[in-house]
Amino acid sequence: MIRSLDRVKRSRIVAGLGAALTVTLLATACTGGSSAPNTAAAKPAELRMLYTTDEANSAAVASLVPQFKEKFGIDLKIDNQPYDALQQKVFSEFASSSSYYDIVVVDTPWAPALVQNLEPLSQYIQNDALNPDGPQSNVGDFIPKVFYDTAVYNADSPIKRYPDPTAKPDASAIKNAGFDVYGMPIQSNVAVMAYRSDLFNDPVQKSNFRAKYGKDLTVPKTWDDYAQVAEFFTQPDKKLYGTTVMAGVGDWATDDFKTLLASWGGDGTLADQNGKPTFDTPEGTQALDYYAKLAQSGHVPPGSTSADWGTTAESFGSGLTAMTINYHDLKLGDNVKGGTIGYAPVPSAKAAGPHFGTWMLSVNKNSKNKEWAYQGISWLTAAEQQTTMTAKSLHPSRTSVFTGIKSDNPLAPFYDTLGKSLAEGVGRARLTNYTEVSHEVAVAVNNAATGASSPTDALKSASEKVSALLKSAGY
Amino acid sequence: MKATAAPLDATLTVDASRRAAGRATAGPRDRKPLTWKKRSTPWVYMAPAMFVLLLMTVAPAIFIFYSAFRNDKILGGVGKFVGLDNFITAVTNASVQHAFLITFGFVAVAVILEMILGFALALPLAAQTRANKVGAALMLLPFAVTPAVAAMVFKQLLNPNYGWVGYYLGVFGFPNGIDLLGDPTSAWIVLVILDMWQWTPFVALILMAGLQSLPGEPREAAMVDGATSWQMFRHITFPAMVPFIAIAAVLRTIQAFKTFDSFKILTGGGPGESTEIINLGIFRVGLQSFNVGLACALGVVFLIILSLLIPFMLRVIGRRSDPEEM
Repeated sequence: MIRSLDRVKRSRIVAGLGAALTVTLLATACTGGSSAPNTAAAKPAELRMLYTTDEANSAAVASLVPQFKEKFGIDLKIDNQPYDALQQKVFSEFASSSSYYDIVVVDTPWAPALVQNLEPLSQYIQNDALNPDGPQSNVGDFIPKVFYDTAVYNADSPIKRYPDPTAKPDASAIKNAGFDVYGMPIQSNVAVMAYRSDLFNDPVQKSNFRAKYGKDLTVPKTWDDYAQVAEFFTQPDKKLYGTTVMAGVGDWATDDFKTLLASWGGDGTLADQNGKPTFDTPEGTQALDYYAKLAQSGHVPPGSTSADWGTTAESFGSGLTAMTINYHDLKLGDNVKGGTIGYAPVPSAKAAGPHFGTWMLSVNKNSKNKEWAYQGISWLTAAEQQTTMTAKSLHPSRTSVFTGIKSDNPLAPFYDTLGKSLAEGVGRARLTNYTEVSHEVAVAVNNAATGASSPTDALKSASEKVSALLKSAGY
Repeated sequence: MKATAAPLDATLTVDASRRAAGRATAGPRDRKPLTWKKRSTPWVYMAPAMFVLLLMTVAPAIFIFYSAFRNDKILGGVGKFVGLDNFITAVTNASVQHAFLITFGFVAVAVILEMILGFALALPLAAQTRANKVGAALMLLPFAVTPAVAAMVFKQLLNPNYGWVGYYLGVFGFPNGIDLLGDPTSAWIVLVILDMWQWTPFVALILMAGLQSLPGEPREAAMVDGATSWQMFRHITFPAMVPFIAIAAVLRTIQAFKTFDSFKILTGGGPGESTEIINLGIFRVGLQSFNVGLACALGVVFLIILSLLIPFMLRVIGRRSDPEEM
């Protein structure tokens, strides 16, 4: 009897606690939810932004802080974190439903998992009072592929893609198609080829190339030409190699493979919208076979099978290679006397599909200053501000900024290539566990590059592992 | 057999007489019962420390156990109880099994080599001369370097295009531009060498303190009896050092199981998955994919294995420290 009374008491206490928890959760959900923007929202003294470091040109954004204050009368406080730390910080902020940061920078691999925590912006974009500098924040000016890949999601099913990624962005059309806008693209990264233009224009090199191959030395447009030019420039005794590969285990190896896979006509996103891997195909095998042969050819510097994007940039910058593929503009070291750099889109085979991924500025769903945060990101990503930030190497996301870059801009050749490459780029699969998927693909790429596995076996093994990962993630 | 039986009997007699004396001098019936206040005083003194321990160690550990049975995601809704699903995934996944195996392999090789080298360093440095004091201070420098910094420096030294290691290997006839991190065997050698460089001084420090605390008389007696240096080491120094070796081995084993920075920075788990130790996997699953349940299950499995291993190690080494077992 006493025991049963205790049990009754315990169950009442548990029920009471459960009810309290439910009320708390509901209250939290209500305050964190999305509602129509309030155009008369009080102006805060400060907006807080969580941003990355060099990965998305933090210096460029930081340079606009004084103008931001002048424009809005609000202090923009930017917290910068390097990539791994930023990812953990962003996720922990959202996990705790924190309202501390009003604006958060989001990288594309994180977006599918985060999208439920980002404020949908179509209502803000369509509200004239919140867009005093131009209707709809002029979203139609964003490069369509970049905008749809980066910022347009169906929050209930983030794996889905907007059906027409070439259409001019329009908030109403996006909303009508069951999607919404979850940020403003700010830094567009895409794989571009950099080459030593001084070597390519050297009459002696041109003459030697013609003597050896019976044709003119030109910047390669196909992967076959790319391998041939890499072979031509390779002179290990002079510490010069043809090109680079980023075959170390990491997202960079996956990115290299994605570019080649799309070039060979495969699905460069790696997985379809049903959550099935799409890289273990004849096109995938051809692409990885090419990559493995290049990695083992001796035409890339020693250490390429453990290289990442930073290592390859260092190799090219120190004059060790004649060509490279990377995501940003490059600089040559002082030791490379007379060296100059040219840029071109990465070569193609059956198609073109350089890997791309863009950072976006999003509004925290829990922010207490959402209307002002929206106006802030709208202003920061506007054409005028993006043009200003190109002085600090920002990679713009708007078409008008690329067309407006003048020829006297020292980075004009880079921006010209960047704009063309973004227009045909291929993004990542929209998976909540993309990091794990990317890791398995990177292991396969590395195994093929080192010769530990054949490309066929490496892709088969990776595809099986990725299938299991996707199944466990609920796809 | 007779030779050992007599001292054993003597020991038992002494123990029995001690127990008898103990009962005679402080039997429970002679003690005054402690008041509640006096009994609770030690708990009051311990309470702040226990509260901190509970908050910082026990509570997170309980939460990890709880999360390991759930499929909570860090974002996007409330998870549910999934029973042993996470543990089944953790234990049956081939990559995880491989990761556990290579983690144990790394710890075994690194700790054994560090114990041998640490002892070899401690023996000459134990003599308290001025030169040895300077040597011991210098020896501690690697131990003081942050592991992540050490790994970054090693990565630069190992760069096949401009690193010192490749250059000097070339001088000794090895091929130019040798990529030590691009081959599984050489990558493992590098990782073990880095660990030895960093942690052997720690072992040497413990063993040096042990050697300095040993009494000199047994060695002096053995010298008088004409024992060789090897015989003195084998029968006097080493048996007396076993408790110190046990401490160093257990501490180093626990530390080695926690190794993360050097693998993350030097190889990232590559080439392929050849150096993907379990800590890298837990990091990726927990802090990059945010699959909290699986990461917690991996952590719990790791904890259980360590909880079984460390007492086993202590028992084995402890038995060796018993003169009767030598």
